[in-house]
Amino acid sequence: MLASQLMAKIAKRHGMQAFNYLEYPSLIRGGHQTGQVYADYENATCQQKALDVLIVYTQDSFELHKSEISEKTIIVYNSDFGELAPELLTEYKNRIFQMPFASWAKEITGTTLAANTVSLGVSSAVLGLDPKIAKQVIGDAFTKQEIIDTNLKAFDQGFVEAQKVIKPLFKFTPKEDNNILVSGNEAVGLGALASGMQFYSAYPMTPTTGLLHFFNEHKDRLPLVVKQAGDEIEAVNQAIGASMAGVRAMTGSSGGGFALKVEALSYAGTAEIPLVVLEGQRTGPSTGVPTWTAQSDLQFALNAGHGDFPRVVLTPGTVEEHFQLTKTAFYLAEKYQLPVTIVSDKFILESHQTMPAVKEKQPTQRYSMVKTEDLPSDESYLRYLDTKDGISPRSIPGQEFGIQLSNSYEHDQWGFAIEDAEEIKKAVDKRERKIKTLLAEVPQPQLIGDPGAQVTLVSWGSTVNVVLQLVHLSQTVNKKLVNAVHIPCMLPFPVEAFKQLTGQAKKLVMVEGNVSGQGEGWIRQQTGIEMDDHIRRYDGRPFYVEELLDLIQEKYA
Amino acid sequence: MKITRKSIKSRVVPTWCAGCGNLGILRALHSALEELELHHEEVLIVYGIGCAGNEADFNHVYGLHALHGREIPNAVGAKLANHDLKVIVVGGDGDLYGEGISHLLSGARGNHDITVLVHNNWRYSLTTGQASPTTPRNTITKTSPEGLIEVPLNPLKVALSVNASFVAQGASSNFKQLTEIIKAGINHPGFALIDVAQLCVTFNKENNIDWFRNNIAELENHDATDWQAAFNLTSSDREKILTGIYYQNTETPAYHKQVEQLQAGTLLSQWQNEVELGDVMKNYL
Repeated sequence: MLASQLMAKIAKRHGMQAFNYLEYPSLIRGGHQTGQVYADYENATCQQKALDVLIVYTQDSFELHKSEISEKTIIVYNSDFGELAPELLTEYKNRIFQMPFASWAKEITGTTLAANTVSLGVSSAVLGLDPKIAKQVIGDAFTKQEIIDTNLKAFDQGFVEAQKVIKPLFKFTPKEDNNILVSGNEAVGLGALASGMQFYSAYPMTPTTGLLHFFNEHKDRLPLVVKQAGDEIEAVNQAIGASMAGVRAMTGSSGGGFALKVEALSYAGTAEIPLVVLEGQRTGPSTGVPTWTAQSDLQFALNAGHGDFPRVVLTPGTVEEHFQLTKTAFYLAEKYQLPVTIVSDKFILESHQTMPAVKEKQPTQRYSMVKTEDLPSDESYLRYLDTKDGISPRSIPGQEFGIQLSNSYEHDQWGFAIEDAEEIKKAVDKRERKIKTLLAEVPQPQLIGDPGAQVTLVSWGSTVNVVLQLVHLSQTVNKKLVNAVHIPCMLPFPVEAFKQLTGQAKKLVMVEGNVSGQGEGWIRQQTGIEMDDHIRRYDGRPFYVEELLDLIQEKYA
Repeated sequence: MKITRKSIKSRVVPTWCAGCGNLGILRALHSALEELELHHEEVLIVYGIGCAGNEADFNHVYGLHALHGREIPNAVGAKLANHDLKVIVVGGDGDLYGEGISHLLSGARGNHDITVLVHNNWRYSLTTGQASPTTPRNTITKTSPEGLIEVPLNPLKVALSVNASFVAQGASSNFKQLTEIIKAGINHPGFALIDVAQLCVTFNKENNIDWFRNNIAELENHDATDWQAAFNLTSSDREKILTGIYYQNTETPAYHKQVEQLQAGTLLSQWQNEVELGDVMKNYL
């Protein structure tokens, strides 16, 4: 486990909310890597720009993070590779400390491997965290007693040495902890397992590889088959095959891999085979910047697939919402027999965030499937029965008297290919009717903060993690400054609910992670509502609360 | 209900050309399914797109009419979901050796227990006669008016090179032998590739009925357990085609037999009305 992940867990065990944001280059190993933890008893939903404690391992790193140092930041520098330049020592006098993490680790444990744990001890001491709790977390993170002991010693070394020279910044009273700490990928994984998903096929691609690993890690505990496919086309088609045969199936990738799956989305749409797809956006286009974030695949996901067919595009924000909406995705996919795409991104899929522990027992049930005993023995069962709500009860191979043809060609009620004009229209209308019922069941937009603010921010997907904190923080400045609307489902778009939430807004400002205003354009297309302004970011980085707040105050206050 | 040659026919009458090799292959498939005494509901056929794939409408068993070239991944997924099913793939040379060749390799490498029946007529016929991956060099087609530059793909050799555990050659003109090959392929506990040389009376004038008579013969005196012998046999230029089972290895267990989760029964049968996440969550507390 990464040191910053352990730090977030230590905070969680104090009963706090925590967020761990990771940055790393697209290198096989090494390079400049960071883990940044923000924790508090409330509203700690994202990373922060200004740091309380900065632990740096090299002088280069120090330079890279200079802009995050405030007047209060305590800096601990790893002096294993040489002393800091004297002018820096002067500049940050009394709050910069040099400690040889690796040398201490070697001295205490015989190896430099635990240098990170030494620094964890240091930061725990500086922050004023309870060492007992921290050591429990370390004990739980490793399995071998020998490794646990080594790391506990390393932690103590850092903790004790830091206490000698640095006064703790805070004093925490531990509270009851009922949370779990998970990445967006893990939250999607938990949601899939809670939905009774039994088949996951994928081809590795950042930032969704974590989900493939999650399922592999847990498959022995459940009736679950995880298949690494030869390519993304194979992955999605294996999932479609498994789903047609009756098990809940899913596939996942980033934009480039998702592009390869597009033909199959259209297939699942017309053949009416339930399918859940995770689309984890990263900085595109093309291979792009693989380990950095973006929100620039929305229009692509909304339009992915040739021809018209009903489908759902969900855009969860917090990890908790990733868990909930993955369950929603499986429910909608099976009930309405269509593809559901969950659009997320590197920022939240690979960050860790606290959420309430999920119930240990998750009840599941099947939808829109025909029971074997209900199948007529005169073989009159129709796979694509033309029903009022467009949902045709689905049989699966193995069921006697349920013989059917699931067809990628346009088809009649039996599933046979058709070319007759009237029949084609009937088939299209039947599928389209599903949307009407579906619309009442999709996740609705949410208002964050109080009505009547000067500025209403509109966002979709992971940006809400920053927006949530921004709205909270702005209250300390000006109670009426800003509120927000978060959209967790972009298709079908909940037009009425969105109009209602934004009807009284004084100034609508769209905040999203792409250059062309993909969400903004979609909302205009769906509702006719024009935003008054927008804030867009497309440099691979997530939004920062401080930067957004400054901008809002400067422009609109 | 057990399949008979009559009961397997859907109400849709085949739309293939009169004299099309697909008719013979379909007849052999029906006979094989009848002779194996399989039930309608335990057979799933995944069809590709092409003349062969049009068969989807003609059979009264569970069917999935897939995308062009993608029928093998569909079949693999279905088999892993419910390994009690007999899963058969029906596709063409463009389908399975062109668009979907990588999936054929994956399927064979995994030894997924599916039977792949390739209707190989050396042409894209549904799109009216372009060159396919198996079209011989120098052949003149609509897309190779000066003669085809590429060398043809040798399907049996390719399958053997990735250790497909059952590799056979049939011909649409040899009903009796083809029925036996299909039966053996379906019974084979692993990945079975059956390439079927198929007449295309409309778009392949070269490999016509006379050519079939003069150039196709049954394979004799061959030990199908000998991979090297099979490989050597496939190394000819395929100008003359020998039909029969080239290679069969029943020792390598099928993919689903090697997945621990599937030893307790099919994935489908292990559906839980309540999922226990207590253990999973421990990592994240």
